[in-house]
Amino acid sequence: MTLTTSTDAARASGAPLPPPGRAAQPGSGARRQVRPGQPWWFLLPALAVLTTFFLVPTVYNLVYAFTDWSSFKTAINPVGFENFRSLLSSGVLLADLRTTVIYALLVALFQNVFGLLLALLLEADTKLNRFARVMFFIPVIMSALAVGYVFQALLKPTGVVNSILGAVAGHPVRYAWLADTRWTLLYVALIHAWKWMGLAMLIYLAGLKTIDQDALEAARIDGASTWQTFWQIRFPLLAPAMTFNVATAMLGWMNSFDIVQATTGGGPAQTTEILNIFIYRTFGQGLFAQATTMSLVLLLVIAVMAFPTIWLLRRRERVL
Amino acid sequence: MRKRLGATAAVVASLVASLVLAACSNPSSGSGDSGKSGPAGWPKETAKLNGTTLTIWAAQNSNTVAKKVISDFQAATGAKVHVVTIPDPYEQGVQTKVASGDKPDLAFWQPTASELTSLNATTNLQTLDGAPWIAKFQPALRNITGLLNGKRYAALISSPAVEGVYYNKQVFAKYGITSLPKNLDELLADARQIKAKGGTPFYEMGGDKWATQWWVQVQLADAAKNGLWDRVNANKEKFTDATILNAIKKYKALVDEGLFNKNITSATFVDQGKALLAGDAAMVMQVNSFFGELQASASTDELNQKIGFFPISPSGNVGTFIPDQSNAVVAFKTGDSKRETAARQFLSYWLGSEYPKYLAAQNTVSLETGVASPSTVPDALKSVAAAVPTSVGSMQALAVANPDLYLNLANMLAGTMSPQKVASTTQAQFAQLAKAIGAPGYK
Amino acid sequence: MSSSSRTRRRFVHPVLVTVLLLFALGVPLWLVVVTSGKSRGDALSPSLSLPKHGWHFGANYSKAFTDGRVWSAFVGSVSIVVPSVVLLLLFGAMAAWVFARRRGFVVAMLYAIAISGIVLPPAVITLVLLLRQLGLAGTLTGMVLVYTGIYMSTAVFFITGFIRTIPPQLEEAARVDGAGPIRIFFTIVVPLLRPVLATATILICLYIWNDVFYAFFVIGGRKDTLPLNLFQVASAGLYLNNWHLIFAYVVLMSLPLLVAFAVAQRRIISGITGGAVK
Repeated sequence: MTLTTSTDAARASGAPLPPPGRAAQPGSGARRQVRPGQPWWFLLPALAVLTTFFLVPTVYNLVYAFTDWSSFKTAINPVGFENFRSLLSSGVLLADLRTTVIYALLVALFQNVFGLLLALLLEADTKLNRFARVMFFIPVIMSALAVGYVFQALLKPTGVVNSILGAVAGHPVRYAWLADTRWTLLYVALIHAWKWMGLAMLIYLAGLKTIDQDALEAARIDGASTWQTFWQIRFPLLAPAMTFNVATAMLGWMNSFDIVQATTGGGPAQTTEILNIFIYRTFGQGLFAQATTMSLVLLLVIAVMAFPTIWLLRRRERVL
Repeated sequence: MRKRLGATAAVVASLVASLVLAACSNPSSGSGDSGKSGPAGWPKETAKLNGTTLTIWAAQNSNTVAKKVISDFQAATGAKVHVVTIPDPYEQGVQTKVASGDKPDLAFWQPTASELTSLNATTNLQTLDGAPWIAKFQPALRNITGLLNGKRYAALISSPAVEGVYYNKQVFAKYGITSLPKNLDELLADARQIKAKGGTPFYEMGGDKWATQWWVQVQLADAAKNGLWDRVNANKEKFTDATILNAIKKYKALVDEGLFNKNITSATFVDQGKALLAGDAAMVMQVNSFFGELQASASTDELNQKIGFFPISPSGNVGTFIPDQSNAVVAFKTGDSKRETAARQFLSYWLGSEYPKYLAAQNTVSLETGVASPSTVPDALKSVAAAVPTSVGSMQALAVANPDLYLNLANMLAGTMSPQKVASTTQAQFAQLAKAIGAPGYK
Repeated sequence: MSSSSRTRRRFVHPVLVTVLLLFALGVPLWLVVVTSGKSRGDALSPSLSLPKHGWHFGANYSKAFTDGRVWSAFVGSVSIVVPSVVLLLLFGAMAAWVFARRRGFVVAMLYAIAISGIVLPPAVITLVLLLRQLGLAGTLTGMVLVYTGIYMSTAVFFITGFIRTIPPQLEEAARVDGAGPIRIFFTIVVPLLRPVLATATILICLYIWNDVFYAFFVIGGRKDTLPLNLFQVASAGLYLNNWHLIFAYVVLMSLPLLVAFAVAQRRIISGITGGAVK
């Protein structure tokens, strides 16, 4: 079968199926059959490590958002919602939130578009393409710190990018890429996409390979152009790959901290200060409770942004 | 099956619950803090310490300062001393590590009251009162910094940084400036003279940002002498009031007048050093670490020839001192009385018999009356050190908290904040910090 | 397809790829490699030009190697990444099997808890305090457990989804034959999980290998890892960036993963093909 059924779609998404009762269980056979015993204790190691080394410290930490924990004194007292109130009344939180959301959207967009374009370009298994694939994966492997250093060097007013532009334009170019209060956020998002597009490319490559050649042949015989073949057959079938890429892009927010910190440190004039950096700065001033409050807010923002997006993309997969 | 699952869930839930319930206790106390056992006074400098290992935390720009002292100390006492570099931002890294219970034996730390508070000195640091080297210090420098609430926590190991003007002697000569300005007005007159003749009077590093605050602080020197920061500390005066706000506005006006470098918003610390050495700009308002950067790229002879220093304030040649992290060392209460005593011994050694060798190795000015500065110390540094006794405290030195004034000023230079907004944002930050510190007047 | 478009494809395509490679990758990588071979003075302003004062590859790389203690950092990184990946895949797969096969409200609730880690930001200070109380602060074991905790949710999420797409008939048949759960898991389920395990391995390796933030607070100053030591090398001057050493170190640091990828490229791609996007 070349057309996708809900089974294949579910399989493709690599995601948890809808909870029981909503749709038929694919591949489960008759429900009256005895299920193989999966022992409960199989859950223990994972849950134990997760709880002890992640959930407990994190929840513990979030509780501090409701206290006055700081580096200045030893005692800690609960203060209710005071931190949230004062945080919301300062303009910085909202400004940084805006920056964070814009940044996340830009990154998700660029990473996916570049990744897809690269995958399409390097689809055939020629020697050149295979070599190019490895090369484009290099930025993915490099640490964000290293990427930060490299681009700092490249984007200085007297740096490499400007000298190339100068050679092309015929007159010296001294644009300060990382000091533009309007556009630097865009450039940093591009740098972030540059680092991770190799991974998106890989996922899309894999996705392209799973597309059944028969359907494409049939379309070609019917006279469809390359463009039409792409948009009407291949792109929809790439839906699961797209979900994966968008999900990892949006949920990889910790990675963005490294790159922004290494290139601009939140500047110029705090126009690239994503919430993580603000948290880092507040933490550095010794205001631990306030920083924790911001973490809590960031958490809510991510949840609000990420889950509906993923849900939408999943639904699209199933529909397509 | 249900029961087993129930058991798993119960275990998980109770784990979470018990730790959440314990949330009201401070996480960083109770992890090996010293109680009643304190260090045993001030031991002999070269007492044997075989088997003791001391850890010193240093920043990127201070991790080689104690090199000679350490190797000599290790040879003399048999102790092992290990320097760990905490990457920038240094203060933040240290604070976070300390909050998570990780403490060194010694660390470089800014000896101002506000920074000592942010390290929770009363709980975390040893007091250094009664140390044998205090009497050796020049009288004017003994109590200038390192104290909090009357107790001494930090040992000064080099001349506190002073905010002032570093100038290029050749550029001054080129533009016909034959005598050094004696107050702020004369300084600006000289600057305008340079500009009129086509030169760049001042060079500022709006890109790296942290030096932007010197311009404002230097203008506040007279007010600081008259208790400005005491009033701010008590919430009797704000950043948005005339004194500080006007200083900010004047800085902006000077930049708008064209007295600074054109690439002010993207210029870096390194650019600043290069520009002054090359004569692209006449003057830079900076602190000691700037000169350290110059020393890394030019010889002492060249620096003596080209670079000079003079302090400046609205009414005279008064510097504003701002001790920084590389100027002082603190000793931690680790709970191990043997190591605590050894840490004190290390300080005594450093500022005692080892002092002359240390000065020679670091080529820095002496702070002790009995010990002469090496003759190879560059002239500019000598001028800086000479300015210390008469200098006035900076915001960092006198205010109870340390807001990010430099960040807001850099935003102003980039055009995204008005002087009014700089003042109000800094004030809000200051109030928040003061409140967290528990300063009276800010409850 | 017309012959003209085929010829177009034969020429245009490689040209396009080459140009793209040159600008998007060639320029930055050339910068890194060339600067890593320059003397300190030449490297102060990193540029694409060839060095004026001769090549210093040997001197720079050996200095970066010794200053950055690359060998012990490499060992450190490997001894953290490998156990973390093993634990994550093993525990994750075990738990995922239960989550994927069992039904019921309690299972769903536990699953929600298990994947909550994807969204929650890890809290450094409390984490380190916990390690101190367990006596694990500053140890490699502690670091491994921290990473395992942080990425467990990701592992469980991906593996669970994958298992759900595998029909349970094989397992059921084995059980009817009398095999115990452990046997079923290791001999039947795990081999089928190869694709998703490959994907998960890559992702996790990438995150952990380059991590500086958590490593700094948990083991900083006490143990070597490649990214932590990059910090040291990069800060070895008084405010002046030693670009030549920094980039030499960057090259050394990226080599292991790059070599691994180049060698396993085809297997990785086919692994991912079977995994996340089928």
